[in-house]
Amino acid sequence: MTDADSDHLSRRAYLTYGAAGTAVALAGCAGDDVEDLDDDPATDDGTPGDEEESHIHIAQTQNPTTLDPHDHRETTTDNVLFQAYEVSIGRDPDGNLVEQLVTDWEPLDEQRYRLEIREGVPFHEGGELLPSDVAFSINRVVDEDAGNLSSPQADQLAGVTGAEVEDGDVIVHTNEANPMVFANLASYCPIVQEEWVMDRASDEVAEEINGTGPYQLEEFVDGEHTDFTSFADYWRGEAEIESVRIDASEESSTRVNSLRAGEIDLATAVPPTDAGGIEGDDDTYIADGPSTRILMLPMRYDVEPFDSQEFRQALNYAIDLDSIISNVLSGFGDATSQPTLEGYFGHNDDLDPYPYDPERAEELVEESGHAGVEIELDVPAGRYLQSDEIAQACVNFIDDLDNVNCEINMRDFGELAGQLLDGDITTTPPFFLIGWGNTTFDAQQNLLPWLTEGTSQTTFVDEELGDLIGQAETEIDEDAREQLLMDASERAHDLAVFVFLNREYLIYGLNERLSWDPTPDEYQRAYEMSLQ
Amino acid sequence: MAQYQFLIRRGLQGLFVVWGVVTVVFLLRFMTPGSPVDFVAPLDAGPELRAQIARNLGLDQPIYVQYGQYMFGLIQGDMGFSYIRGRPASGIIVSRLPATLELAFAATVVAIIFSIPLGVLSATRRHEPTDYAATAFSLVGISTPNFWLGIMLILLVSVGLGILPTSRRPIGLLPAIEMLLFQLDTVGVRTWIRHMILPAITLGTYFTAMIVRLTRSGMLDQLGQPYVEAARAKGLPETLVTYKHALRNTMIPIITVLGLQLGTLIGGAVITEFVFNWPGLGTLIIDAIRVRDWPIIQGALIVIGVGFVVINIAVDALYARLNPRVDL
Repeated sequence: MTDADSDHLSRRAYLTYGAAGTAVALAGCAGDDVEDLDDDPATDDGTPGDEEESHIHIAQTQNPTTLDPHDHRETTTDNVLFQAYEVSIGRDPDGNLVEQLVTDWEPLDEQRYRLEIREGVPFHEGGELLPSDVAFSINRVVDEDAGNLSSPQADQLAGVTGAEVEDGDVIVHTNEANPMVFANLASYCPIVQEEWVMDRASDEVAEEINGTGPYQLEEFVDGEHTDFTSFADYWRGEAEIESVRIDASEESSTRVNSLRAGEIDLATAVPPTDAGGIEGDDDTYIADGPSTRILMLPMRYDVEPFDSQEFRQALNYAIDLDSIISNVLSGFGDATSQPTLEGYFGHNDDLDPYPYDPERAEELVEESGHAGVEIELDVPAGRYLQSDEIAQACVNFIDDLDNVNCEINMRDFGELAGQLLDGDITTTPPFFLIGWGNTTFDAQQNLLPWLTEGTSQTTFVDEELGDLIGQAETEIDEDAREQLLMDASERAHDLAVFVFLNREYLIYGLNERLSWDPTPDEYQRAYEMSLQ
Repeated sequence: MAQYQFLIRRGLQGLFVVWGVVTVVFLLRFMTPGSPVDFVAPLDAGPELRAQIARNLGLDQPIYVQYGQYMFGLIQGDMGFSYIRGRPASGIIVSRLPATLELAFAATVVAIIFSIPLGVLSATRRHEPTDYAATAFSLVGISTPNFWLGIMLILLVSVGLGILPTSRRPIGLLPAIEMLLFQLDTVGVRTWIRHMILPAITLGTYFTAMIVRLTRSGMLDQLGQPYVEAARAKGLPETLVTYKHALRNTMIPIITVLGLQLGTLIGGAVITEFVFNWPGLGTLIIDAIRVRDWPIIQGALIVIGVGFVVINIAVDALYARLNPRVDL
């Protein structure tokens, strides 16, 4: 046998083994019946069982940046943490306040508010909820000397100066009359266990969970996934779904394709353009509903031509919002008429959106004395649902007016946000697109930040409007306060303080086996879901 | 001895390059719009709170002070704290590095497995259908954007055929191997392979196409050399002439390109990671850029820069080993 032959044979043998190995590997890789560590804890040991039926996988847009419920500002982080942590006061699907960890609440006087704490509520890691835990949680958010944290959520409990335990109840202190205390506590400030937090370093609190909620943490892999299992001793009864994985796919097509491939059960933030494909599949469907976010085009009241009420109204008349909702958002949106959202405390139901009337818009531009003006709309690129397309459509509608030229200026969100929030109105662009979320279900948080003097993002100041909002801010009587907010909303509509655009919709893709009605607060609580 | 001197010399040059990378990356933050404060501060934070946050993040210091503090920390392995996550940036980056390295190496393996045989076939069957097919593949492969290819593969292979998963990395290579060795369970390795195939093909296609062209042109050049004719005249089988002699000489420039491209793959995996929800450095950088988390951005770019430098030095050393005529 020659060397060449030997070489040839060994190569042949090598290739044979290689081909066989490849075939085995491919055989092992292909097929539906392959055991996989993909996503189901039940299959981790390779023994799929009944538990698999009671497991769901949610894919959202971003992973949590921390597990410390008081040390972030992201809805996506809250969505993970609210599987395990609870806020003190609950909300029903319509946003009304209901009992949760707090069973009763009342104002004692203008600066003291009482919370009665539910008894017998266990924490995941042991121990029962105490009034001091609720007081500690509030103090940890509002007081940087409490709880080893300077919380970025302090403004969410605006006006609250601290909390303490008195006679078994929690007394919340405010700096002045504050009708928003209970609404804020129903949206913010998850309750933690004082002893558990204080016994741990801050990085441990950021990587572990000990709440009172329906799910307890099973595993947290930063940047990859968070796994939960149901908490057997949950005070409202154990969850129907036994385990939940939440991870993130920033790319929307990845979420949608994972859903259509049957890898996940719920995909958040589905683009309207993909909704038809999901509805068209036998195994998936779309669930949608209005969110707590409004899209709008604020205009600075102190610069021409936006200082003219006629001009601002003209821009509202110029835009065919129904067409935008129909064509750009595939129907996933509601036209708005005021800064406040429908269903919110203080929303004025008597107001209708400005109709599309380009002739009236051109007349108003003439009346304003700004015919022939050139304006520019600053838009944070890709920030909200189809917002680039909405902005482009708005600019086209305005530019179609015979006496206004309008151009679009795409901006980086961070840069634009810096200009909006620096407390200096002169650096704020005269005309820009922004989305504003408000999970308190109260008009005040839509009106006050933009339409009163002294906030960091004021774009509009009007004495009468400011008075109405200011009175509502400290009015304790509910009926009187609601009327004040409704009057303020009407004044804002008449003044056309913004170009009022659409209320954003939440669009979810779901696997047929999962049943769930979306809630406006943008959270997907597995406890409220059921499997078919 | 010469090799050691070479490595020391290149190592010192590499340090200089790394310092340059660190400096440029550090200065980049001052050239880009938007402040981290905008993302850390509450939306209605007043100027005082914003100033306080800037102080907490050390952003109120002059640039040269920030630079000095950063360099001093970096020397000690401290890349600072993530503005958003509030944890050491180095730990976060190190935890993401294996995913990117695995993807880059897998893409390289895909490229080697497919490109070299295809390039050889294309050269040895010049102007035949195989050659045209290989040339067409390389043209399409070089021209196809990563993100489009990835999405198309997902739609076709995962959603359409249901053969492979669409995305994610449920297990890393090392845990999978540990499971295989210590628990004698292949499920980890098989899961890893199933999830790696589409991202590796997506990332490796451009690379494959490029090496097909490189191999083809190199082989055509070598097959025309007198030593090949001499080998044939000796009566050696054509397979030996092609693979043992001509290909071996063609491999020298290919290995150089392979090494350099591996660095590019590590840095260029961003889009592939994004499409396949791959928890590597690429997705980490995208996340960090969105919220101006500069300690993460800087740290990740520095790691990639250091990777480039190390790979370059390794390739140079390997090149000299493969080709003794090269003097270090």
